[in-house]
Amino acid sequence: MQSKYPAGRLPEPPNPIADDGDETRFCGTCAFSSACIAAGYDKPELAELQCLVEHVGPFRAGEHIFRTGDPFRAIFAVRSGTVKTRMVDKEGREQVLGFYLPGEVIGLNAIYPEHFPCDAVALDTTFFCRFSFPAMSALASRVPAVQKHLFRMLSKELGTASLLAGDHSADERVAAFLTDLAGRYAARGFSATRFHLSMSRGDIANYLRLAAETVSRVLSRFRTRKLIRIEGREMELLDVGGLRKIGQALLPD
Amino acid sequence: MGDRLAAMTRAITSPEFDAALIARHDVAGPRYTSYPTAPHFRADFDETALRGIIRASNEEPIPRALSLYVHVPFCMSPCFYCGCNRIITRDATQAERYLERLYREIELIAPLFDRDRPVRQLHFGGGTPNFLDAAQMGELVESLARHFSFSHAKDREYGIEIDPRFADGDYVRVLGELGFNRISVGIQDFDPVVQKAVNRIQSFEQTRAVLDAAHASAFRSASVDLIYGLPFQTVDGFSRTLDQVVALKPDRVAVYGYAHLPEMFKAQRQIAAADLPDAATRLALFGCAVAKLSTAGYVHVGLDHFARAGDELVQAQCAGTLQRNFQGYSTHGDCDIVGLGVSAIGRIGDSYSQNARDLIGYCAALDAGRLPVVRGLELDEDDLIRRELIGELMCQGLVDKRQFGARHRLLFDEYFVRGRQRLAPLVEDGLVLENAREIRVTSRGRLLLRIIAMCFDAYLDDAARPARYSRVI
Repeated sequence: MQSKYPAGRLPEPPNPIADDGDETRFCGTCAFSSACIAAGYDKPELAELQCLVEHVGPFRAGEHIFRTGDPFRAIFAVRSGTVKTRMVDKEGREQVLGFYLPGEVIGLNAIYPEHFPCDAVALDTTFFCRFSFPAMSALASRVPAVQKHLFRMLSKELGTASLLAGDHSADERVAAFLTDLAGRYAARGFSATRFHLSMSRGDIANYLRLAAETVSRVLSRFRTRKLIRIEGREMELLDVGGLRKIGQALLPD
Repeated sequence: MGDRLAAMTRAITSPEFDAALIARHDVAGPRYTSYPTAPHFRADFDETALRGIIRASNEEPIPRALSLYVHVPFCMSPCFYCGCNRIITRDATQAERYLERLYREIELIAPLFDRDRPVRQLHFGGGTPNFLDAAQMGELVESLARHFSFSHAKDREYGIEIDPRFADGDYVRVLGELGFNRISVGIQDFDPVVQKAVNRIQSFEQTRAVLDAAHASAFRSASVDLIYGLPFQTVDGFSRTLDQVVALKPDRVAVYGYAHLPEMFKAQRQIAAADLPDAATRLALFGCAVAKLSTAGYVHVGLDHFARAGDELVQAQCAGTLQRNFQGYSTHGDCDIVGLGVSAIGRIGDSYSQNARDLIGYCAALDAGRLPVVRGLELDEDDLIRRELIGELMCQGLVDKRQFGARHRLLFDEYFVRGRQRLAPLVEDGLVLENAREIRVTSRGRLLLRIIAMCFDAYLDDAARPARYSRVI
């Protein structure tokens, strides 16, 4: 009955949708904008360089952006929505490798093998900027800032795996996960304390190498301790310092 | 918080009985055990939709606990006032054949829910749940416990509706051993003339035996149902019934208004409209119940429900956590409700779903290995907003416009401009107070919550208000 009563609604709060770019301007969260603009390259110049920046999507929840073994031609920057990357072993068991938020880039781990070593699956309705990689590397060779940025993203991508390494308790893992997410949202200009968890608890559990019910138990515990408030999938961090302290062993300083 | 609590407590005023006022607003209206109401469920909601919704409900960061509703459709004999979905039979093998299907349904649907979701609430309704004998009841509870994860928490609510004409103390004790801790007993009226007219002869002693056994066993709470507006009912007779009810010391009392809709409910054709009390008597009967129960220390929770001052429902109302559900009011509104059995309604995530309402359709689906869901509804944002508003009006009698608006990102007065227009005459009559800050149900409006809620029902068209609902009083 919604369409009948549109009056009186207030606009959406700033939420993780980076869709404010157009033919001549970068989106606010674009992974490359700062590097390019700093080097004097704005979008029209990029087009001149035939560096194809192509908007693709929407992908619906569950749809693949690429699959394991697909030849590597491009990297994808998330404009809106959330993506998980995962591998499926011979027995059909899934292993979630990571989650990607608006402004973040997927496909970087395919640069060396030249084919995608994992699947990328949309968790909700998702849009991307597709950067043709041959054009991208051509640009990188001409613009040192872009090359530097590419290396930085690559090393960051390699670094995230360590968030899961080692023998850490469920509380530590979940706290580190929430703190990390909050930090990434904040880095893109979104709220650092309130966000929508678009990943299922199964995916979170798989990513953190925990049982699904453990994730829920830990979240319930955090809720009781007033570290978080949670309603459905809406998450609010009430005590960011407290969470960071619990997860500190897994978090960079 | 303290202020909010104080405001809530003030909002829960006792009802004020004004016969003329109530007579003026005595129209047909839904009871809002769900919003949108069941007539708006859609036939294109199917098994695939339900399975998808259950899957999504498992994937919330902290999945909701479960509430199971089990429908037993059989009755030994027809009560003529009844508007429920039930089948009259004395054939015990009917129960066996039904249970066979119920077990299949449990086997099909239970594995769809993750095992770490505890069953915090269980409710057996009917029909007459005690149509099942003690052995069958034991098997059914065991099957549920095997396929779902029963809660071991002290605050779990496992309830059952009992017809005392077909249950004795031993049966009730068995129920207690099976884990039931709440009992709901149908009385309607102890007046023999009325009992004869509605084909339900039930003595005070039979009723007391069941309630005494419940009190002596593990039951934490006992409630009784009364009905006013039945044929030949008089204020004198009903007044005596109320005295007897108070003597039975139930924790909760529900006083329902009889809705005479013989075109819809076949059993009601046995009741002659001429034998029904007139509108004035109807009101006097309810007024008598309000007066007697209030004097005896019961608090009017809302609509037709009364509870002792110390009861959880009253506490929940004071704390602002009271909720509507299909049994009326509940303190556990945050569960996903799984409806099991013919015609049962579930509420999972932001959806409602209903099983086939006829036994043939119900059995056929299960025999074919399908879930028996036949209709339902996925609530959109407007539905969710209105459901919460109607819930607050029915449960707390108070809506803080600014807080409500902030929660849903809306300007209250603008978003509900039409609802507030409909509300204006009720404000005029003193049923509701409305100002820039809040909507508050007055003591005069306490008995007319349904028509207040109806103002905000987007599915009710002024021109064509459906007559399929019972009258609000």
